[in-house]
Amino acid sequence: MTSPAQRVDAMGPRRGSVGTVARFLLPKIGQALFVVWASYTVAFLLIHALPGDPILAALAVRGGDATTTDPAVLDELRARYGLDGPLWQQYLGGFFGIFRGDLGVSIATGLPVSETILRVAGPTTALAGFALIVGFLIALAFTVWAYLARPAWVRNVIVQIPPLGIAVPAFLTGLVLITVFSFGLGWFPASGASGFASVVLPGITLALPTAAIFFQVFSAAVFDAGASPFVFTANAKGLSQSAVVFRHVLRNAMLPAITIIGLQVGYLAGGTAVVETVFSRDGIGRLTVDSVLARDINVLMGVVIVVATVYAVVTLVVDALYGVIDPRTRTALAGAKPISAAKEVRT
Amino acid sequence: MTSVPLLTVRGLRVDYTTPKGTTAALRGVDLDVDRGEVVAVVGESGSGKSTIAHALVRLLPEEATIAGGDIRFDDVDVMSLSQRALRRVRGARIGFVPQDPSHSLNPVLRIGEQIAEVVRRHLGLTPPAAAARAVEILDEVGVPDPAQRARQYPHELSGGLRQRVLIGIAWACNPELVIADEPTSALDATVQRHVLDRMQAMRAAHGTSVLLVTHDLGVAADRADRIVVVNKGEIVERGASAEVLADPQHEYTRRLVAAAPGLRSRRLEPSGGASRAVTEASEPFLRVRGLSKTYGSTGSPIVAADDLEFSIDRGTTFAIVGESGSGKSTTARMIARIVESDAGTITFDGADITRLRGTALRQLRRRLQVVYQNPFGSLDPRMTIGAIIDEPLRAFGMGSRGERASTVRDLMADVRLDPALAARRPAQLSGGQRQRVAIARALALRPEMIILDEPVSALDVSVQEQVLQLLVDLQAEHALTYLFISHDLGVIRQISDEVAVMRRGVILEQGSAESVFAAPQHDYTRDLLSAIPGGGVAAG
Amino acid sequence: MRLLRYPGMIVSILLLAVTALAVIAPALLAPYDPYESVGTMRLAPPSWEHLFGTDHLARDVFSRVIYGARLSLSAAGLAVVAGVTLGAVIGLVTGYLRGVVDAVVMRFVDVVIAIPGILLALIVVASLGFGPVAVGLGVGLGTSGAFARVMRAQVIRVRAEEYIEAARTLGGRGPTILVRHVLPNAARPIIAMAALELALAILAVSALSFLGFGAQPPAPEWGALVSAGRDFVATAPWLSILPGLVILAVVLAVNRIARYVGGER
Repeated sequence: MTSPAQRVDAMGPRRGSVGTVARFLLPKIGQALFVVWASYTVAFLLIHALPGDPILAALAVRGGDATTTDPAVLDELRARYGLDGPLWQQYLGGFFGIFRGDLGVSIATGLPVSETILRVAGPTTALAGFALIVGFLIALAFTVWAYLARPAWVRNVIVQIPPLGIAVPAFLTGLVLITVFSFGLGWFPASGASGFASVVLPGITLALPTAAIFFQVFSAAVFDAGASPFVFTANAKGLSQSAVVFRHVLRNAMLPAITIIGLQVGYLAGGTAVVETVFSRDGIGRLTVDSVLARDINVLMGVVIVVATVYAVVTLVVDALYGVIDPRTRTALAGAKPISAAKEVRT
Repeated sequence: MTSVPLLTVRGLRVDYTTPKGTTAALRGVDLDVDRGEVVAVVGESGSGKSTIAHALVRLLPEEATIAGGDIRFDDVDVMSLSQRALRRVRGARIGFVPQDPSHSLNPVLRIGEQIAEVVRRHLGLTPPAAAARAVEILDEVGVPDPAQRARQYPHELSGGLRQRVLIGIAWACNPELVIADEPTSALDATVQRHVLDRMQAMRAAHGTSVLLVTHDLGVAADRADRIVVVNKGEIVERGASAEVLADPQHEYTRRLVAAAPGLRSRRLEPSGGASRAVTEASEPFLRVRGLSKTYGSTGSPIVAADDLEFSIDRGTTFAIVGESGSGKSTTARMIARIVESDAGTITFDGADITRLRGTALRQLRRRLQVVYQNPFGSLDPRMTIGAIIDEPLRAFGMGSRGERASTVRDLMADVRLDPALAARRPAQLSGGQRQRVAIARALALRPEMIILDEPVSALDVSVQEQVLQLLVDLQAEHALTYLFISHDLGVIRQISDEVAVMRRGVILEQGSAESVFAAPQHDYTRDLLSAIPGGGVAAG
Repeated sequence: MRLLRYPGMIVSILLLAVTALAVIAPALLAPYDPYESVGTMRLAPPSWEHLFGTDHLARDVFSRVIYGARLSLSAAGLAVVAGVTLGAVIGLVTGYLRGVVDAVVMRFVDVVIAIPGILLALIVVASLGFGPVAVGLGVGLGTSGAFARVMRAQVIRVRAEEYIEAARTLGGRGPTILVRHVLPNAARPIIAMAALELALAILAVSALSFLGFGAQPPAPEWGALVSAGRDFVATAPWLSILPGLVILAVVLAVNRIARYVGGER
């Protein structure tokens, strides 16, 4: 423990020892592991607690009326897909499989789930990355525009625009974009996942709700910061408009905005299901939809685990970054304490 | 000296536009500040005094517009300056010390940088030179270890230190005028004095003119050459500080002077000639022995109360005075049995109430009531005033619905509230009215003792005075015993019989109000007394 | 009336009134039978006779949209009711009890919030089978986490208010205080949030039905109508886009009213 009496002033923010960094990071790593475990558990409980036999449901989709009811065949199938034995065994087996990279076998195709997901991860990553960046930029542009806009009614109009991004169904945006830019103007392909051009339309479709969410947090933070006394001080100091906006307003507003990137990843993972279907594009979202259509719970579980892992890792990175960026947590990290008022009275 | 003032304001009018319509915040204000002069603008909340300060540098909130008038600063027409030109005047020639030190510094920039960016911008210093200058400025405003402090962030500094940093920023470019908007109202009394001393020193060293905006007539009297009194957007009185205080001309100023707690030295007497019924009992009504409380077991424990001993006679007022963190509120809450004490005993009318619980504790509530500091937080926003006052009657099943309604009317009359307000909700009442509601509610069960936790500190001085007078009258009418908690010695002087001075959980001294005020024994008490603004005027 | 000062509110209320009528008595609004062909005009463009045109089976799309309101909105309503109920119970209990229960349960709630809502809904659909009820329950489960968090925060906030402490010093008993002070003060944000979530639930339900997990053909559900038109997007884009615009309009109207309920003007 750092003693409170230790000289605060001499402690540079980056002087935290390996021990302090570990104390800061270890709980967060634990949290990330917890998220993966809990997601797996929640999904497992949902699938097995709700009525219905997964293997029968899957076979019904695959075989139609010709579904076998021979118990011996069913048992063999259950064993092949890891759905045999008592529930707790399935639960533990599935969980420990994660650490070996083994997510089971797809009921629909018989291929390993991890391989199936890995094959479509690339296009989805490209799509989500594009949407995240474009969404961020749109939100930033609207926020600064709205902050500087005068008079008040103009700004009130501007702030109404980005939230539309979340109210418009993604399939509607996608279909309108296809109608105009693929069939109408012929600028971009209407489907497929090859080349940068194929990312643009689905990427924009996905970027609009992403921008709406970013804007919500940005604008709240920017208007909060803008109305705060320290921005008044900055103006009273006679700083230039750009210095006030960039050094004082945006710098503070970016902090809360960073924290939602983790949640955005989750949102994007969900959003890809619709967008990839609309644009007939290979990817994790479409794989999820297909696995549900085939009642292929093994692939579905795999997707849940992969999404939870990505979310957990992103959150971990964002948390760690936040700790470095925000001086308030940085001080806490270094073990320093604010000097008490009592100390100052005597000076 | 030249006859042209540094700052001339003529006919300044500011309107606030809300969805409900337009209200005039300033209705034609004339104001002059000469070179090297300190002018205080004094008024209560809502008077428009802060609007004057903000309008001078044209930094009003968006819903406010300058509807007319002239502002000339050193022969520059401020009203006709472009925003760009204005940004060259602010900070360079007109400094500004804002009200709230805890939020007025950027939380993610280092202290030194926040000073350095001003001198870089207006004096054109190179970054290293500006950084060095920032350290010098910190030293000049009395921040210890300036070089190390410059590398810290605002949250690592106390409120008083932050306000010094803001003073440093205001004076960084050696401006001709500094506008200080309630610079110390968020600080404890002793810290307030240090900060004001520092401002005075800066003013003397640089020959700056200062426009000091304050609600505190005492502060104005101590620090300003001239006083301007604002009420409802108009200047009602102006003149040299001593003259305004000694011989106020306007009726509003007279009320302010009469109400200013620091400027008077007597205990309020019940109005209407009633006398206080102090029964000469051998046994004190409330006795506290060895009362202790520590928060936070491991690490760095905070001692809120350490072995407290005192007793209160029936029908008298016992006051505990202390600054924030002294433990005075915790003490009140332990006696009210809201917070559990660690050790010690509390005896109420001969019975030990330290560990009462269940029905016995509920029955104690009928005899011992609490009024809180914040009249905004202690009333349920969704209930009507009538229902709020009725609540304790209902809880104890006192009378039928009709009987209770008439009791509520009586109680409202008791606290001089119009019974027509019974149908309103707390948000529709003023702060003073709300506190009267809280007092009426506390009186509903006809208690024998009331614990008053900073009951007037959220109110304007003239309202403070009225509420204190009400408390004194009620004490006489109902033979009430008060435990009165306050940080404000001026208020305490108006209401208490016995006083205890607390700091960091310890009672430093206690005794009759006269003796503590006339002959304080402890250094800290003397410090507190001398920190009361306006002390000099009252003595002279 | 004060409402009339907000033109957006008037439009929203009118639109929702029409939508409500479509839910209760679609036959009053729909000019044609939603399941029967109205002639031989397949894929006809919008006209006065067929406002939204006709589909590949020559059915009147406008009538199908009117009839679809009931399925789509009841699934969304089910989602909100399920989400509020589950969330409010969790939030009340954890906010009231605090301690270990709170810590453990809220960690799980965090995770439920982190898993994308649509993925949770898909898991439920995969186990329960397809249909509007499964979709509604699935979407509701996805929103329950947020409700739980807000309810808990409200309970904790209100419990810390000075007027709660005041009520206790005035001799109020625990349950009385909970009912008279805590619940009324905690409920308002929940109601406002439920209204907002209804808009999101309509979106989520229509997305799932677009993906084919809702009511099965030929039942008319909004998302499914858009999906059915997709095959003809190159030649008859209005088939998808007009029903899509109806969804958008209803979502915006609900959202506007929800913000009004939440105190925004």
